[in-house]
Amino acid sequence: MAVKVSMTVNGKSVSHEVEERTLLVSYIRETLRMTGTHVGCDTAQCGACTIHMNGRAVKSCNILAMQAEGASITTIEGVANADGTLHPMQAAFKEHHGLQCGFCTPGMVMSAIDLVKNFPDTTEQQIREQLDGNLCRCTGYHNIVKAIKAAAADPASAKAGV
Amino acid sequence: MSHDDFHGRLEDDRMVTGSGTYSLDWDFPQAAHAWFLRADRAHAQIVSIDASAALAHPGVIAVLTGEDLQAAGFKSLPVLTIPTRPDAMKPLLPFRPCLATGKVRMAGEAVVCVIAETQQIAMDATELVSVEYKELPPVVDALDALKPGAPQVHADVPGNLYWDYDDGDQAGTDALFAKAATIVKHDLYNHRVIGNPMEPRCCISEYDAAKEQYFLYSPTQGPRIQAAMVAKVLGVPTDKVDVVAKDTGGGFGIRSAVYPEYCVTLLASKKLGRPVCWNGSRSESFLTDNQARDFICHGELALDDKGKFLSMRFYMVANNGAYLAPTGLLSQTRSVTSCITGVYDVPVAHARIKLVATNTAQVAAYRGAGRPIMSTMLECLVERAAIDLDMDPVEIRRNNLIRKDQFPYAMTNGTTYDCGDFEAVLDDALAAADWKGFEQRRAESAKRGKLRGRALSTYIESTAAGGIPDEAQLRFEADGTLSLFASSHSHGQGHETSFAQVVSRVLGLPMKTIKLRTGEAGMRVGGGGTGGSRSMVSFGSSFFLGAQEVVKKGKELAAKELEAAPADITFDHGEFSIAGTDRRISLQNLIQKHQGTHPHPLDSSSANKYGMTYPNGAHIAEVEIDPETGVTDIISYIAVDDIGNVITHALVEGQMQGGLTQGAGQIFGEHAIYDRESGQLLTGSFMDYPMPRAVLVEGLQIIDHPVPTALNPLGAKGVGEAGCTGALPTLSNAILDALRPVGVKHFDMPATPQRVWQAIQEAKAGRPSAMLSYTLEYA
Repeated sequence: MAVKVSMTVNGKSVSHEVEERTLLVSYIRETLRMTGTHVGCDTAQCGACTIHMNGRAVKSCNILAMQAEGASITTIEGVANADGTLHPMQAAFKEHHGLQCGFCTPGMVMSAIDLVKNFPDTTEQQIREQLDGNLCRCTGYHNIVKAIKAAAADPASAKAGV
Repeated sequence: MSHDDFHGRLEDDRMVTGSGTYSLDWDFPQAAHAWFLRADRAHAQIVSIDASAALAHPGVIAVLTGEDLQAAGFKSLPVLTIPTRPDAMKPLLPFRPCLATGKVRMAGEAVVCVIAETQQIAMDATELVSVEYKELPPVVDALDALKPGAPQVHADVPGNLYWDYDDGDQAGTDALFAKAATIVKHDLYNHRVIGNPMEPRCCISEYDAAKEQYFLYSPTQGPRIQAAMVAKVLGVPTDKVDVVAKDTGGGFGIRSAVYPEYCVTLLASKKLGRPVCWNGSRSESFLTDNQARDFICHGELALDDKGKFLSMRFYMVANNGAYLAPTGLLSQTRSVTSCITGVYDVPVAHARIKLVATNTAQVAAYRGAGRPIMSTMLECLVERAAIDLDMDPVEIRRNNLIRKDQFPYAMTNGTTYDCGDFEAVLDDALAAADWKGFEQRRAESAKRGKLRGRALSTYIESTAAGGIPDEAQLRFEADGTLSLFASSHSHGQGHETSFAQVVSRVLGLPMKTIKLRTGEAGMRVGGGGTGGSRSMVSFGSSFFLGAQEVVKKGKELAAKELEAAPADITFDHGEFSIAGTDRRISLQNLIQKHQGTHPHPLDSSSANKYGMTYPNGAHIAEVEIDPETGVTDIISYIAVDDIGNVITHALVEGQMQGGLTQGAGQIFGEHAIYDRESGQLLTGSFMDYPMPRAVLVEGLQIIDHPVPTALNPLGAKGVGEAGCTGALPTLSNAILDALRPVGVKHFDMPATPQRVWQAIQEAKAGRPSAMLSYTLEYA
């Protein structure tokens, strides 16, 4: 059965007919052809598909497109400024070599922005614990932790929001 | 580039903004979608396949079975062979089909491919295919498979023995063992793991009928070596296949291979006249990616009465799985034995390895590819000797190291170490770890009820020299940029940055104007792929020499411009000048003068083979165990590594951090477990298979101790796998060191809380070796 879904993605209104069983991540990747959001598993463990829905980080593989009806969605493509300036979290990942193959990076960045929003005075230990839902196979997380810590300390982060 | 100069890689902007192009990000809106019916059992005869209901399902376009592939002339998936001794057994290479025919040999093996308009339809229709099987008993354990009467995986692999491999000098070794004052023996099991790059295996396959050309968009470590393997299966010349890739989401050796789905979907695309997409799931990666390790290891060390090592010998049994993967011979044999006696002055040694067929997924190269097997065996054996003989673990190692003045150091198994300074590396590690202060720290932990352990381990590994010359091409483009072409492919290493760095240093051109291109359609450039920690050693060196060729050509152009003899021209910081005068012209200027001409007069290339070189190091870990829960924490980890000259420090550190953590992942929990009765993989998802999380490794300190090699112009030794090769023995020994005071004598990994706790309880009950999985006798 097809069903109509409508939502706002990175500030733009979108609306499509999709099969009821369509996952939000499939809608984003395949219908909207925004491929920055990745799929790294089929059990909602890896976090590569993390996006923001109504201001909260969620795993878009673990939710149907229908459930996002009317929601405001932000994907990795909507994080940088319109002029291409990186969000402080993106800049910190780059500066601190917090990515290697880059496949987990969009989900990591989306989770990390949410993390810093929830815990503005975060500690290294807290960052490590909060990253439990995002897997990275390349970096061993060391530089990801460093990047998030640096972004949390960057006054630009608070202003950047998302 | 010093650490302070690092402000990110050239590839980072696209990756942090979601603009990377991974395999399924290529846009093929007209693609059909493939899904695979996989064996739901580990060992069975296929009696019949009925796909009529699937074919009748709306939206289904085609169904392919093994018979269709046979009709299309498909060959076996290939195996890279390695030289064998004339008098020794030759490896048996059974046919490995892309879709099972006659028999399934592992759970998850692809049996039928359904192609439909959408992935959902293909998945639905796959459920409508009915396969009638006649069950056969499976065998998943390597020693079980070697027993008389064991289920036979392949009719043409008698006794399930793919290969009885032998390396070194057996007679010489036995003679030295006969003279020994002491022989120390040790057994361990290097358990099976699954590499799990974050991008699941997948592909988009396209056949261009007009050009009779196959295009495979897939995660890759080397587009041309992968194309060659695909071409072998399809039975076409390598030139008729293009593997296309921009970004690859991790590889670790696993993505260097050809896989069944790639070839099946290429055939499907040819038959259907449209691209075919396979959106492989993580579950399928778990079941059917090349898996790793699974080595039952026995080692013996002969010592004289002063604790000097005389010789070593090893007997190992490797569970290679249901089929031989492309690197399934190499990674299980010579890659294990190349550094057969490690950093120790023991030229004569012997190893025998049996490669065994079982009803499990194929086992092949994965970060370290064989070297972590030997590093773990060796260093656990040496540690055992220190314990058994009551010798200091540092001194027993120090007294047996190959000395700085002994290079080149040749061993009877044909390996020659080029250079190193093992003692200085060891001393750096001891100093950084405050080795002498340990007892105080152990006492402090004990006050808190914790068991503290620490260990020093050394490692050395060979980095893969090229069998064929590795080519670097430098092309000056009409837009003023410099394109670099190579057949290696980054899957996280950051080659766009590090190769640009090499070239930029020679030519003085800005990094941003240099663009590495590796996985483009139609690209033909010679050499291997990324693997065996070889890219900087080989391709980096070829780019260095290629850039020097640009300088040489530039001198001739500059000589004409400056009306001087080429011999009088010097080049420095991007400028050509006549020595001793102020007459000069910049390289940039020369590039611009000829901009737009093809070929540009400065275009250059370099193709070379480089000798095998040997990264090495000394690592020290301290761990703390809570005996009440079995939970183990890494308190500190010092890694001192000689990886030769460092080109980009931040990237090297990233490789070490990743490799160490991957090693720690295996030590603390990753474990591919097959059910002995059913042959099913019990750890087939991230819910059952504990990948390292951010809390696993803390307190990591990485220290460079470069001893540059003379075997390549960069003096580089390679870094991709060193961390993993060092971490396995270091953490293994540290955990056992913590457990020894409570009576544990043996502890096979993984050190999950449950297993650690169990080891403590078993030791208390008088079973100090309860956590030893297997024992073997050297024969």
